Amino acid sequence: MNQAQKPRGTSSPIDMEDALARIGGDEDFLRELLELYVEDFSSRYVLLDKAVRGGDLKAVAELGHTIKGSSANLSLPSLRKQAFNLEKAGKNGDLGKARTSLAALGTEFRKLKVFIATRVA
Amino acid sequence: MKILVAEDDRVSLRILEKNIRDWGYDIVVAANGDQALRKIGDENVRLAILDWMMPGINGLEICKHIRQNNGSNYIYIILLTSRDRSQDILEGLESGADDYMTKPVNFLELRARLKTGRRIVELEDKLLESNRKLKDLASRDSLTSLWNRANIMRFLEENLERGKREKQPVSTIMVDIDDFKRTNDTCGHLAGDIVLIQVAKQMERCLRKYDKIGRYGGDEMLVVLPGCGLKEAGGIAERLRLAVAGEKVRIPAGELEISVTLGCSSSADLSRPTPEALVQASDAALYRGKKQGKNCVVAE
Repeated sequence: MNQAQKPRGTSSPIDMEDALARIGGDEDFLRELLELYVEDFSSRYVLLDKAVRGGDLKAVAELGHTIKGSSANLSLPSLRKQAFNLEKAGKNGDLGKARTSLAALGTEFRKLKVFIATRVA
Repeated sequence: MKILVAEDDRVSLRILEKNIRDWGYDIVVAANGDQALRKIGDENVRLAILDWMMPGINGLEICKHIRQNNGSNYIYIILLTSRDRSQDILEGLESGADDYMTKPVNFLELRARLKTGRRIVELEDKLLESNRKLKDLASRDSLTSLWNRANIMRFLEENLERGKREKQPVSTIMVDIDDFKRTNDTCGHLAGDIVLIQVAKQMERCLRKYDKIGRYGGDEMLVVLPGCGLKEAGGIAERLRLAVAGEKVRIPAGELEISVTLGCSSSADLSRPTPEALVQASDAALYRGKKQGKNCVVAE
């Protein structure tokens, strides 16, 4: 990652400057963290999908909360926002909102994967 | 200084771990509450960063557990959470946390807060050390540095109990400096103090390491001899007498020849060997010694 690769505009899934500031500017370490995030996200997403299908709103809220936390740590604002929507939907017992937020979360995650593949790897 | 970090999210944990290590702390990590509790018990942790929301035992419960099972060392706790409502902050602090940070963590802030924590832990250590020293000081006689009366009597009581269990006798020797009042009257109280200090030192040197000597009253000293019968106590008393008589005490006005009279008694010879009864019996023996002409040992 260098300055030329720095994402611009609101469409970027990661606020690189903010994320790097949190880890002392260590780009290799950021790559390692993103890999870890993707791995954990994938398994959590499967659980989330299962929870939404099964109407387990408590699990939706908890998983949403966890994903929100790790997204915030890596400065992934869109993913954080959708995870937060899921957490709120779970707490409010709004299954319809949980479904749409889950889909939106999936879309944001795909954007991140594309970003990692093209800009970070 | 060792820090425990308990965080179930691997990304957060890795970031915390890297930063904290870079700041020069030893770090112990736990991926959930159960692991955290185990590691707090096993390792010498002095600072803890606990995520509030964790599967199983959460950060708040760990906090309460640490405070309820207060070990010898204070652990400074920082709770981490994405919650930021004032009610939650209150709950966190009331459960025993010292500090509170919301996620995502601002690392400059965390570093500063850890420094504060470290300072408090170090202050706590200094305080405990001072308390230990003060306790020792409070157990000693300020003039002679011998154990004070309360302490020597406690020692006697404990050893009588142990002696009863282990079927071993305990003996005591009551020591009185001969003509001490006359020394005070003719040479002054400063000389009297010097005599007391010197006699205390001479006798302390003659004792076994498991014996104890304390200042019982003005010029009376009590020696407690665990595992000792009357005959052996008489032998030790004679050694003490000779040590004192064999060395002159130097005072500003010259030198004084000092002697002591010693009365011995043993728990083996008493029907109800309480600390008071033993002291009384030694005192009675001492009185007989004074009647016999002082500078002697009575052990019968």
